[in-house]
Amino acid sequence: MSVRPLVEVINLDFAYRQGEGWARVLHGVNFVIYRGEAFGLVGESGCGKSTVAYQLLAYRRDNSRIEAGRIIFREEDLKDLDRPALDRLRGNRISLVPQNPTTALSPGMRVGRQLIEVLQFHDSFKGREARRVEDLFQLVGLRSSTSIGDRYPHQLSGGQQQRVCIAMALACEPDLIVLDEPTTGLDVTTQEQIVELLKSLRARLGMSMLYVTHDLGVLAQIADRVGVMYAGRMVETATTGELFARPRHPYTRGLIASIPQIEKTNRSAGIALRGFLKRDQLPAGCPFQPRCDFAEPECASEVQVLETVDEGHAVACRRWRDITAVQMRSASTKADAAREIRPDHILSVEGIRLGYGSHRKWLRFSPPADVVQDLSFAIEEGETFALVGESGSGKSTVARAVSGLLAPKGGIIRFEGQVLPPLVADRSRELRRSIQYIFQNPDASLNPRARIGTILSRPVEMFFNPGRNAIVERIAEALDDVRLDASYAARFPDQLSGGERQRVAIARALVANSKLLLCDEILSGLDVSVQANVLFLLQRLRREHNLSMLFISHDLAVVRNLADRVGVLFRGRLMEVGDVEEIFKPPFHPYTYELLMAVPSIRRASRPRLQSRADKAATGKAGCAFAGRCQWQLGAICDQQSPPWREVSPRHGILCHIPLSELTTRVRDDLAHLSAQASPGNQKADPFNVGEQTHS
Amino acid sequence: MAMTATATTARWSALRRSWPAMPMSLRIGAVILLIHFIIAATGPFWIPYGPSQIGTGPPLSGMSWAHPFGIDQLGRDVFSRVIYGAHIVIFLSLSGTFIGLVIGAIVGLFSGYVGGWTDDILQRFLEALISIPFLVLALIAIVAAGPAYSGNPILLVLVIALIYAPRIARMARAAALDIVMRDFVTVAKLRGESAWSVVRRELLPNATSVLLVEFALRAGYAPVLVGSLGFLGFGVRPPTPEWGLIMSENRSLITFAPITVLGPGLMLASLVVGLNLFTEGLSRILGRTVRLVDK
Repeated sequence: MSVRPLVEVINLDFAYRQGEGWARVLHGVNFVIYRGEAFGLVGESGCGKSTVAYQLLAYRRDNSRIEAGRIIFREEDLKDLDRPALDRLRGNRISLVPQNPTTALSPGMRVGRQLIEVLQFHDSFKGREARRVEDLFQLVGLRSSTSIGDRYPHQLSGGQQQRVCIAMALACEPDLIVLDEPTTGLDVTTQEQIVELLKSLRARLGMSMLYVTHDLGVLAQIADRVGVMYAGRMVETATTGELFARPRHPYTRGLIASIPQIEKTNRSAGIALRGFLKRDQLPAGCPFQPRCDFAEPECASEVQVLETVDEGHAVACRRWRDITAVQMRSASTKADAAREIRPDHILSVEGIRLGYGSHRKWLRFSPPADVVQDLSFAIEEGETFALVGESGSGKSTVARAVSGLLAPKGGIIRFEGQVLPPLVADRSRELRRSIQYIFQNPDASLNPRARIGTILSRPVEMFFNPGRNAIVERIAEALDDVRLDASYAARFPDQLSGGERQRVAIARALVANSKLLLCDEILSGLDVSVQANVLFLLQRLRREHNLSMLFISHDLAVVRNLADRVGVLFRGRLMEVGDVEEIFKPPFHPYTYELLMAVPSIRRASRPRLQSRADKAATGKAGCAFAGRCQWQLGAICDQQSPPWREVSPRHGILCHIPLSELTTRVRDDLAHLSAQASPGNQKADPFNVGEQTHS
Repeated sequence: MAMTATATTARWSALRRSWPAMPMSLRIGAVILLIHFIIAATGPFWIPYGPSQIGTGPPLSGMSWAHPFGIDQLGRDVFSRVIYGAHIVIFLSLSGTFIGLVIGAIVGLFSGYVGGWTDDILQRFLEALISIPFLVLALIAIVAAGPAYSGNPILLVLVIALIYAPRIARMARAAALDIVMRDFVTVAKLRGESAWSVVRRELLPNATSVLLVEFALRAGYAPVLVGSLGFLGFGVRPPTPEWGLIMSENRSLITFAPITVLGPGLMLASLVVGLNLFTEGLSRILGRTVRLVDK
């Protein structure tokens, strides 16, 4: 090799003190990081990846020791450095971005001050510290630097805190940044923003990175090369592209299969990881042998060493040749599966028209207008589809139609490919069981004169009719599912708090073993803290029971935390549909933008009151439903012609006359305009971080 | 068993504790009713003379210590007759009202839940029944039943039920219309529960307070109805010592020995007053709890 790597880890053996002896957690770990390279370390928790990361910072404690091997940074062995030398190195040449920014930042110090402290400690940017801090904030996308610097950590969202930590790590222009699970504590969208930021920073600043995570999906986006660790051993290293295209080690294959994907059905087709790491039962040979689908008796005894199989690709598995053959085949079928359009929608709504008041028409002066017109959308199995919109937009009406309370005037609704009878009375027991409705207000949806046990037992009795004991058991199970004590069965609803009552309502839907939940504003009647609890509960239940949901809400923060896809409804028409990550990024439909700007957390003082147009009636049936209220209205065309459906991506579309590129520019201009107007200190860096706080 | 006993004891002591806080009307009404029930239950065992025994003293002799309500034309002791008749009057009134309540509640709740044409037709029918003055309706029903059944206490019970059921049904329907709007009924509907099941499981438990008050209110007027029919000769057959019939028999003596009419009249009045006071107090208590539950 002509170029000397920045970091070389050579045959590192590392142990922690355990009782009398030492327990070895790293076994001959080898890897290098070149200048400007991003190296990812991935593995399950306990595999030793964080230990490696902290050894790059020469983090030593009495209860641990390097038993063998060397860690060479810029041609110096870190082992040989004394404390003052290390102090000069850490935070200066090598810096750390920790997992949890909340605990990493000093809570009692303004974040700007904390950054300056780093600079002063290393005598870096002398006399220009304040300027440097401003630049750093700029760099990490915290735009209004002056106000951010004056804030305390608790005044920042989790994403913003992590940006501050990154700024701190960058402060002295280090050669290497060690990132220890920097996005694990953040919600998905924030995580993506942070990853984007790190990517752009590396492109601009050219520092090396060691990125430690359990999430191979993140590494796919950011790392040049990846090292896969298992039980303290490096089992495979390869360039990122190579690793994903041709994973050789069975463990790597399992990790890749575990990455959550939008096309969820194929998630774990046969090669997902089974079991878990049992540290005390490791065989002498390959540590992965007990969990490996390819294991042979020899694997348990024969020590596996990294073996170069290809240019820059090494794997510690004696059977890599056999695995490669299998892998190629499954990779190609997977690609096919992703391309094909699958008809396995659990619910599809096709051009439905909904309205009230067909009964006793003669009492009215004119026939009422339809609440929902020509609405189509689909929900995949296991997916949460959120319908958002202001009150009166027809969200609940859609749920009523799906549930069978309101027969559509036109169009059809399919459930698992079968046409749903319009009214619940005509639906089979199986259908009634599969689709469960949860109402907004648990005070009204629970019979005040029935005990919780009775409320929950009725669906079980109706749909399954097991014996008395089985019912009692099922109720206890359901109550446990929603984290309520079994003793609650004897209580009446008015003896429960609002959140508990909503949990009971959820449990009632669960005891039916339903497949599709219709959640009609089920969080909006609850306190914010209770809301977060129930939201968390829903997220968990959705995973555990593989539930699909039609989630109706006006609360974008909740939607962002829960939904997979979002439909924006205005006066019964879908204005925008897309995956949740895309919905919250420009381009926006003008109405979506209005909704986003209406979220209190991101409203600015100088915001022109969009509501002033809210009372304006939509102009005509012919044109866009939003015409007349739209702040970016083009002109007569909006009133007279129905707008085209513009596709941002295959899974994201906007119904608007304004071209997508212009929608993006308008948002940018509007935001720029606003930030110019806004008084400093009244602004947040990331205008679309709706819901970020809820998660951090 | 022991559990039940403790529960009952607990309930009694709870009642004793809350007694002073209850509305005055309820307390007075309860005492009056208690006296009536004791008389009805024990009267037949301690009355000085048999209810139909003749020759208990000189006829038309008026009020005396031996004969507090005097002696009628046939020489029967009116006091003994009135006391003996208490259980008859109370039984007829309460059972008639109860049957009316059951029928009325079911029809009303069902009508309110189902709605639509069924509700419309049922309501017009009930309104038609209500529009007929109840005494006229009772007479029509008794005449229609034919002479074979005249004086039959079961017929009387059914007639009371017939008069009350439509009125109770309207109240029940009004209650149902309110309850039906709530989501738990929708949940039951979505689950595919039958109308009967929804009425029984969801509506009835929530309409109990309304129905209880309705029952007490109607029961309070039922003795008057029984008495009226007896007075008119369409009630139970003589010589049954039913209060209305006793008053009717002795009405010719009203100037001569007024106590023979006033005695049974006082008993009837006190029963009705007791029932009404009790109802008034009960509806106040229930009204309060209902409000507490509904927020």
